[in-house]
Amino acid sequence: MRILAGGTDLVPWLRDDLITPDLVVDIKRLPGLGDLDVVDGALRIGALVTFADLVASPLIAKFLPMLGEAAGTVGSVGIRHRATLVGNICSAVPSCDSGPPLLVHEAMVHVIGSEGGRVVPIREWFLGPKQTVLDRGELVAHVTVPIPPVPRGAAFVRLSRYAGEDLAQASVAVLSLPEGEWRVAFGALAPTPVRAPAVEAALSGRQANDGAIADALRLVPDAIAPITDMRASKEYRMAMAGVMLRRALHLAETRRAGAGPAYGTAVM
Amino acid sequence: MKTDVTITINGEPRILTVEPNDVLLDVLRTTAGVKSPKIGCERGDCGSCTVLLDGKSVRSCLVLGIEADGHDVTTVEGLDDAALAGLEHALVAMNAFQCGFCAPGIVIAAAELLGHEPHPTREQVQHAIAGNLCRCTGYEPIIDAVLAAAEERSVTA
Amino acid sequence: MTDVRPFEATAARTLEVVGTAATRIDGLEKVTGAAQYVDDIDFGADLLHAAIVESPHPHARILSIDTSEAEAVPGVVKVVTGEDFPFTFGLYMKDRYVFAQDRVRFVGEQVAAVVARDPKVAKRAARLVRVEYEELPAIYDPLEAVGAGADLLHPDLADYPHVPWFFPHAGTNIAHWRKTRKGDIEEGFASADVVLEDTYRVPRYAHCAIEPHIVVGLYDRAGRLTMWSASQSPYTQRHLFAEALAPLGLSDKDVRVVTPYVGGGFGGKAGVSMEILGAALATAVQGHPVKVRWTREQEFYNTYQRQGLVAHVKLGVTRGGMITALDHTLHWDAGAYVEYGANVVNAAGLSATGPYRIPNVKIDSLCVYTNLPPGGPYRGFGYSEFHFGLESHVTRVAHAIGMDPVEFRRRNAIVEGDTLAYGAEMNPSGIHEAIDRTAAAIGWGEPEEPTVPGRKVGKGFSLFWKAPAMPPNASSASFLKFNEDGSLNITVSGMELGQGYLTVMAQIASEVLTVPTRKIRVETPDTDRNPYEWQTVASHVTWSCGNAVRAAAIEAREKIFDVVHRVHGYEEDSLYLEDEHVRCSTDPEFALALRDFVINGLEAEDGTFKGGPIVGSGTFMPEFTSTRSDPETSQGGHPNVHYTVGAAGAVVEIDPETGKMQVRKIALAVDVGKAINPSLIEGQITGGVVQGLATVLYEDMRFDDHGRLLNPNFTDYKIPTARDIPDEIVPIIVEVPQPDGPFGARGVGEHTMIPAAPVVANAVEDALGIRITSMPITAEKVALTLLAANADQE
Repeated sequence: MRILAGGTDLVPWLRDDLITPDLVVDIKRLPGLGDLDVVDGALRIGALVTFADLVASPLIAKFLPMLGEAAGTVGSVGIRHRATLVGNICSAVPSCDSGPPLLVHEAMVHVIGSEGGRVVPIREWFLGPKQTVLDRGELVAHVTVPIPPVPRGAAFVRLSRYAGEDLAQASVAVLSLPEGEWRVAFGALAPTPVRAPAVEAALSGRQANDGAIADALRLVPDAIAPITDMRASKEYRMAMAGVMLRRALHLAETRRAGAGPAYGTAVM
Repeated sequence: MKTDVTITINGEPRILTVEPNDVLLDVLRTTAGVKSPKIGCERGDCGSCTVLLDGKSVRSCLVLGIEADGHDVTTVEGLDDAALAGLEHALVAMNAFQCGFCAPGIVIAAAELLGHEPHPTREQVQHAIAGNLCRCTGYEPIIDAVLAAAEERSVTA
Repeated sequence: MTDVRPFEATAARTLEVVGTAATRIDGLEKVTGAAQYVDDIDFGADLLHAAIVESPHPHARILSIDTSEAEAVPGVVKVVTGEDFPFTFGLYMKDRYVFAQDRVRFVGEQVAAVVARDPKVAKRAARLVRVEYEELPAIYDPLEAVGAGADLLHPDLADYPHVPWFFPHAGTNIAHWRKTRKGDIEEGFASADVVLEDTYRVPRYAHCAIEPHIVVGLYDRAGRLTMWSASQSPYTQRHLFAEALAPLGLSDKDVRVVTPYVGGGFGGKAGVSMEILGAALATAVQGHPVKVRWTREQEFYNTYQRQGLVAHVKLGVTRGGMITALDHTLHWDAGAYVEYGANVVNAAGLSATGPYRIPNVKIDSLCVYTNLPPGGPYRGFGYSEFHFGLESHVTRVAHAIGMDPVEFRRRNAIVEGDTLAYGAEMNPSGIHEAIDRTAAAIGWGEPEEPTVPGRKVGKGFSLFWKAPAMPPNASSASFLKFNEDGSLNITVSGMELGQGYLTVMAQIASEVLTVPTRKIRVETPDTDRNPYEWQTVASHVTWSCGNAVRAAAIEAREKIFDVVHRVHGYEEDSLYLEDEHVRCSTDPEFALALRDFVINGLEAEDGTFKGGPIVGSGTFMPEFTSTRSDPETSQGGHPNVHYTVGAAGAVVEIDPETGKMQVRKIALAVDVGKAINPSLIEGQITGGVVQGLATVLYEDMRFDDHGRLLNPNFTDYKIPTARDIPDEIVPIIVEVPQPDGPFGARGVGEHTMIPAAPVVANAVEDALGIRITSMPITAEKVALTLLAANADQE
């Protein structure tokens, strides 16, 4: 059985017989899955919320602008009108654009199934390429993302072969929080989107100055495990991960200070 | 397992018999006889099959026909005069298209943009049609024509 | 016999329509979605669908095929294999099979087909056809394929019929070897002060017309075969279908090819490729229409691909900046079948000097069989490929002698009357004007600041040229008829591929007959009704078919003047047309509206009517060309009708950390002879520049070590979107007339994509000091090359 929401991954997979489910269940008429609201200090993003919804949402712009920044890089208008954030993490391709932002925001995935519900921290969600902890018979109702304290600054930096619609060759999400806390995650640089705790530790309590960045960059090769595929070589990914992290750290820091380019400005 | 769906196509409710795995693109072209959405890649990459679903542009090759049951679909044949105002004229006057195969999809995307952004920047036009591949024109004349149509509207409005 | 006066005779008169940016006559149809392409035609409830069984191996012997399981699937109408169609076909060399016979030679080759009521059933049943193979060694690299001991892909090469200007080397994998020799190559290098040589590699590319190939065939119960085909070549298809299926008793007149609008061609829909399957299958299910529509994946791996190239360039120059010698060896990865691609190799082998005056030349252009999909025509026809190496090399050799690369090109550029490598004379050309205006447009020699600190700005420059590659007797024809209201219908068999051909033909007729283009309809081809056209390729239809339409219009005009003379007595040479009226230079009061007599004739004084429907016909064949030449030197013939030349230059801004390149400005000047429609030519420049830039910045076909294409889709074969274009494209039109062209026009369609690759390569070197000798030059390649160069320095 497969769940159909936006269908932007599922329908072509069906066409190419990459999957041959006995049953496809369209969840678009189920009530309550389209919510995009604030509940208990967190943004609740329902399974039917599309990337276009995220781009247009004042709540996202106010509380999670970097998630909006990432959403704006997904596909193109016609894709964003259908593709959902929840579908994106359920498809779980290594280049999944919502992975790194949700990782640094420590999102929770709310799963429902015939046996009841469970809540999975996003760090435990991804198991491998196109593999998650979701069991047969379960579906994701929504994702909750805690609203981070202020002052905060964040950046999603994405590398692709060109500016138009493309899958990410690599991506980095950085979240800068009060008291010198830094969170860093990478996409398309390992079998799943990954947090980089050692990199975060090297930055902890520091400004994103040259010394701190140099310390962080030294730890990047051990934080990721890129491969060579159609989109980029391992060598290029490895080299770009550092460049992207440096740019993302600068961006997040300047944004935390209330300056810097607006969210959505490409820096690659 | 065929099933009947009701899809309002260009304002007219149509009762159509579809297979559950028929994509909306095939339903429109083969079952409903609406030919302007084109088959270019069948995997959501090229945008030739772009239609409006409840007013929002989607790739009809990525939507199942049964998903459109009870919904409105608009193709270039059904765009109203307000949506088209000046757009067709500018595209024709500036020789914007060449082979024309991508044109129905691009007209849909451009009309959608002008519907919510009457005074787009060049960059906004580029973003709006970035999901529609064209191999002939290099896009420049299309972008110019969309901007010219917007300009024309603000003059006449 | 119609007198087609050279254009000079009419040039004295002010042109009213030719030279204006007329609106496309197909514009509204396309913008409104009314334009009909093959797949938009309704074939009724009896339409059948085909799915193809394809080879999973790059090279294998077919041991057995079992179709029984597929035939048992409900809804399957017919399953066919090579046994049903043991026929070969091909445009210039018959080396290709309708369905694979004893062996397959590339991954994706058609082995069998299933015809069913429903396309999904056909696809499912095709998977049930069991084919047993014995794998054979596969070769992908052309240098390896010409090496000693290489396995032969076509042991029967000696038996394949081919055109007389091909020279196959039986017993090798060399299907054709074009040799061009001029002067004394050794003496040429001996007299050089600097000799530079290097090897350049160009991968395969895909056309990526947005409309995939499609053909619908109906072999009716009376034995007529009608094909609705998305094709650049309706007449060529008709003849090749009839020729291949002649064993079934078909002749040319029994075959009808209908070609409505085509959703892009770029060479990919020239000749006959997958369409042969539609023709064959139609005969297998007589009485039922059958559709073969390629998926996007098949579009990538089983149509013509642009051939790969390994080019070795050796160039000798004097310190004074003159080229003394060129030794250019081109090894083409031509793929499994070369029936069309060998002519790409031939064209390059005649013209791989580029637009330069070079006294001593040695060119070897080798068409090499490999176990990759068939190579074939692609916008540029070999010229894009060899220009990458040659024009990279020209900049390098200029630097080697300390000369400005633009100045070096100015000194060596070929001009009218110069002797071409194969002995004929160069046609009129505005190459120096193109160089100067392009250099000025990009501020050549003036340094520029990057828009972002840390980025580097480089400028690149390149010349280009190309001649149509045509058989010496390639020809065009046109019929023209007036309607009751004075409007016109014109039939031709060139294809509207998007280039604006129909509009240009209307403008040419309009210029002669003064009927406005909005009152002229030019019909897409139907071989039963429209007159002959060789093919819409080679950037020749404006020139060749334009001459035919002009001749038809002149014939119609002469008929008009004849009837006016007979009824009103005015001398024919005193009559002229103006605003859809016949007027007379000796009687200013006389004005006769065309609509009043072009169908119903003119009433004479005695009440009888003279004249009748005005129709015209015109043909054109270049009667001065010949392919007869010495196979060892290519001297003696006149294979090319004319060269179109030009220059391009770009300003490129590069992020050295990521390798990302943004083309801030690119200017391209092309000598079109006469711009019949400047707007449409600007369209060719803009589109061609972007397509050319894509081949160097983003695209390439990648195969695995089993010959399987890894990126047969737009997800990973990245053609540009509206966000991936230069900040500014400057089209520059140069007009040095072509004496035998309609109103002085010559071809322009393909040329505009040729120089993009070397322009970028040269700009990257200018910005970063690194020379990249293989395409594409992606951001990744630039960044990694720079990292390696910096590591070497440390």
